[in-house]
Amino acid sequence: MRWSGIVSACCAALTLTPPSFASAPSALPPYTPAYEPTTVDERGMWMEADERERLLRDSPLRIREGGLERYVREVLCREVGDDRCKGVRVYVMEIPAFNASMMANGCMEVWSGLLLRARSEAELAAVLGHEFGHFELRHTLMGFKAKRSATDVMAWVDVLGGITNRDMSSANVSLVGSLYRFNRAQETEADLLGFKYMAASGYPAKAASEVWQQRMAEDDATALGRGLKPRRNYTSGFFDTHPTDLKRAEYLAKAAAALPADGDARVEQYRAAIAPYLSRMLAAQIKMNDFGGTDFILNSLASSGGWSGELLFARAELYRTRGNPRDLQMASLWYRDAKAAGYVAPELDRNLGLALLRNGQTEDARKSLGAYLVARPEAPDAKMIQALLAK
Amino acid sequence: MKGGLIVRAAVFAALVALSMPGIAQERTGSKTGFTLQPGTARIVLMRPTIRVGAQSTGGMPEPNADWTRQARENLTRALRAAQERLGNQVIEYDEGASGEGQIATEYGQLFGAVADSVIEYQFFVGNRLPTKKRKDSFEWTLGRGIGELRSLTGADYALFININDEYGSTGRKVLQLVALMGGVAVTSGVHVGHAGLVDLKTGELVWLNADAAMGGDVRTAEGAEKRVAQLLEGFPGRPSEKTIGGQ
Repeated sequence: MRWSGIVSACCAALTLTPPSFASAPSALPPYTPAYEPTTVDERGMWMEADERERLLRDSPLRIREGGLERYVREVLCREVGDDRCKGVRVYVMEIPAFNASMMANGCMEVWSGLLLRARSEAELAAVLGHEFGHFELRHTLMGFKAKRSATDVMAWVDVLGGITNRDMSSANVSLVGSLYRFNRAQETEADLLGFKYMAASGYPAKAASEVWQQRMAEDDATALGRGLKPRRNYTSGFFDTHPTDLKRAEYLAKAAAALPADGDARVEQYRAAIAPYLSRMLAAQIKMNDFGGTDFILNSLASSGGWSGELLFARAELYRTRGNPRDLQMASLWYRDAKAAGYVAPELDRNLGLALLRNGQTEDARKSLGAYLVARPEAPDAKMIQALLAK
Repeated sequence: MKGGLIVRAAVFAALVALSMPGIAQERTGSKTGFTLQPGTARIVLMRPTIRVGAQSTGGMPEPNADWTRQARENLTRALRAAQERLGNQVIEYDEGASGEGQIATEYGQLFGAVADSVIEYQFFVGNRLPTKKRKDSFEWTLGRGIGELRSLTGADYALFININDEYGSTGRKVLQLVALMGGVAVTSGVHVGHAGLVDLKTGELVWLNADAAMGGDVRTAEGAEKRVAQLLEGFPGRPSEKTIGGQ
């Protein structure tokens, strides 16, 4: 058939020449103060980002109090330099997962889970610098264009395939693959630009690779906690948007090895800045139903600053939540240790009481629950606790 | 650290967009027996969610900042004109010195969620919840709290509008044409909008209009008038007057 001959020629041409992802944006870098995007696509990206930023600004999840956002912004400025960070807005959201992102218009979103996991300003700075790299390199725009080119070709492949009744899945698969490869290449690019900031910032350059080593260790702990075999991916899969953590740790460590190993990671300053939020971040993490990962985070926090009352309480909570008799036994111990270490919230007495009650230590349990009711007679769960005591 | 899921979803959405059939359902509903306050109703137009762009050959939305701005201006103007013909006053929401911008945004989101529920569980007849099956029942609310906002003092109603337009690009239209010749159906363009009126005394949603295939090119003044007329279809008028939808 003539049709199919033409179509297969077209398809062959389309798949042999992958969509061109490169294009030249305006000469000014996007962090230029009062930068105005010029092309239709870039203006569109900025408009979408502006709309999304309004929602972020007004979001109930945002941690507005106590200048946490200001602090995170200062870390970013130290990392990328004052010239670059001038126009950046930082929003810290209370979401207990490891993530940060930066939109096309220079609005940065940081999740509390990242702040809980970072062990120093340098580690936080490494992630922020990477995200800033995406912004500086206009990756939202480039990614959008790449996606558009690839899906354009896919649409033609589909339609022509449909008309000629030919199976086009292999052409489509190779297009999808090219898109994910493009995404991984962007991540590596941002990693390397971020690393350049790191090297110039006064933070130790090795922190960038340590972030990913820590991530891998936590993933392993999560897997073990779920009774699974820890799995390490040595190469990226077909659908992976990011290089593997291992790859990233490797090339960043290699880059760091070439630099002098000095710099101040500002561990103490970081710990002091996060301290007022630690309790709520830990409480949110415990609700993630990730026993292994959470225990790993707690141990990591304790390894640098010792087992504070706060950390002991969190660990007791974690074990009480899992709730095996042995867990309740350990939880009761740690609640008491936390109290001895100066953790004063009356909720400790309530939770200690509940742990004891479930393990059959009724007398001690009644004492603790009673102490909670004395301290918090108006608590919303006071009636429930009274009912437990009345038995 | 961008979401891999989003990329994946975009790719598959583009594929699915090639073959999605239209779904027939009701488009408008209002609280039984509801009529506007006698006299001039003061209606606050909450900041509309407007997104206007093109649709790429592969079906991806391509946001266009200029079209969106034009649409925002045109729609607001057309809306005000349409309501003034009814004798109502339309004021754009302004948080002023109230500091209520955040909560107003939350109500905007809440309206979106409620409107989606109405569309899913009432307008879509086959999917009606047992409590929504009674004839002539339209009971949805954002809660009384919205009436207590100081920035809404003196207003009778809040009007929420969401619009999403993607105009088929030349590439998409050529694709559609070629596909049609070969007997493959490809849709071009997305024109979705909904508008809802909330009684500020009770917080109840008294009227909602939702349409998945709207007309009127919102990038032009005339088109925006047509769109507003469609958006306000079934808008509760005063008993003696006709609704704007008939125009």
